[in-house]
Amino acid sequence: MKKIYLLVFLLSCSGLYAQDVDSLMATLNEEKDFRTIATFKSPRLVLLQTNETQKARNLAFWVGHRFGDIGGEFGGSNTLFGLDVATDLYLGFDYGITDALTVGIGRSKFNESYSGLVKYRLLWQEEEGMPLSVTLFGQSSWITREPFSSNEFDKELDRISHFLQVIIARKFSPGVSVMINPGYLIRPEAQVQDFEDSDNLFSLGFGARVKILKRISIIADYTIVNGLSRPDDLGIDYYNPFGVGVEIETGGHVFALNFQNSQAIIANNFIPNTTKSWTDGGVRFGFMISRNFNLGPKRTIN
Amino acid sequence: MRLLPLLILSILIGSFAPAKAQFYQTTNAEITFFSSAPVEDIEAVSNDGVSVLNIDNGAISFKVKLRSFKFEKALMQEHFNENYMESEKFPDAIFKGQISGGFDSRSSNSQELIIKGDLTIHGVTREREIPVVIQISKDGEQLRLNSKFEVACKDHKIRIPKLLWENIAEVIEVTVNANYQIIKP
Repeated sequence: MKKIYLLVFLLSCSGLYAQDVDSLMATLNEEKDFRTIATFKSPRLVLLQTNETQKARNLAFWVGHRFGDIGGEFGGSNTLFGLDVATDLYLGFDYGITDALTVGIGRSKFNESYSGLVKYRLLWQEEEGMPLSVTLFGQSSWITREPFSSNEFDKELDRISHFLQVIIARKFSPGVSVMINPGYLIRPEAQVQDFEDSDNLFSLGFGARVKILKRISIIADYTIVNGLSRPDDLGIDYYNPFGVGVEIETGGHVFALNFQNSQAIIANNFIPNTTKSWTDGGVRFGFMISRNFNLGPKRTIN
Repeated sequence: MRLLPLLILSILIGSFAPAKAQFYQTTNAEITFFSSAPVEDIEAVSNDGVSVLNIDNGAISFKVKLRSFKFEKALMQEHFNENYMESEKFPDAIFKGQISGGFDSRSSNSQELIIKGDLTIHGVTREREIPVVIQISKDGEQLRLNSKFEVACKDHKIRIPKLLWENIAEVIEVTVNANYQIIKP
């Protein structure tokens, strides 16, 4: 009997004590607001740029490829469903000057263009506070191919175009991120293929990532170009760029295996020049691979 | 029924005892973890560990936000949170335990002790016995707790893919250095 009382005594004490440690812990809980990380796994989705930038003093090497039409007139078994053809090939480097500012250079097979890009993270989504991330993106492209006709590029400036975009992104859950990318392309009249087409074009992009496994995501983006500032009755059939893909992340590498109707990789080329459609076999396979290098000294963490 | 007074007494003592209990707290405990693998050593530090310790009965509660760990490489930090710890789902590492036997709360000597309790990381709770060294300052205002123990990734369902370039040890060494202050009633 004594033992039972003693037990009751001990239990009543220890129960109260344990509770007090926990209730004191609750009062100590300083909630720190952390920036949401990895809204997207990569600075690029399928066709569009994401709000992500390079980490400070990290260099990314990019290799991108777009094959030929899978079906239709130019595809099928004659070209092994487009694998014989390379409509675009991109090699580039992006470097993070700070966590917020990235600069990059690249070269595309399409139009033999050299491009330079700047990305700046204006707002960061936070776990408690800021609901959105906003990144500004600018890219200039210089077409270096021989003119198709003697008067195609009268001046050197006729070869240069600029693309500006505001990327508004939100990570809704660990597996679901969405972005909206309004953009504006500024191009000289010499680069306009259809006489009726406007020089400068508004675009409105939408992109999303859905994680299916820890390191594998489904990615997709769609950009509205037709029906904004572009006239309706053009001689050339232009289509809105649309791509879907699988993104695989393996530490320092990110692989994206994509299907899209755009032949070109950089926005300056695919925003105005997407002449293939998903419905007539104009969709093509492509990939984008990045390898990250940490160039800076290791950060001091203490 | 001779024992009834004792029962009443025990309840009375039980309910009053917490007022006399000595609590210590910290909000800036340093937690370091170290992974040693053939290709590279990875180290991360947080200075945001939060803990409360009751030296009268040895109850301890310890918590650290995984997002507060800083790595030498920013990309590693992102991978740690995104791929391994899933910090958005499981934001905290938590330990709740009890100092087992032999603790002298009046001594100012450093005491080597074992804390038995539950360690929860990545949403998986494991019963652990963690060795600690505790020293209370002479004036009783401060208490220092140091500990070094190992956490096996497997135990907490933290999966490390074998085919990847990155190299992460299967067993991570954790070091805790905490300076507690007394909580004055």
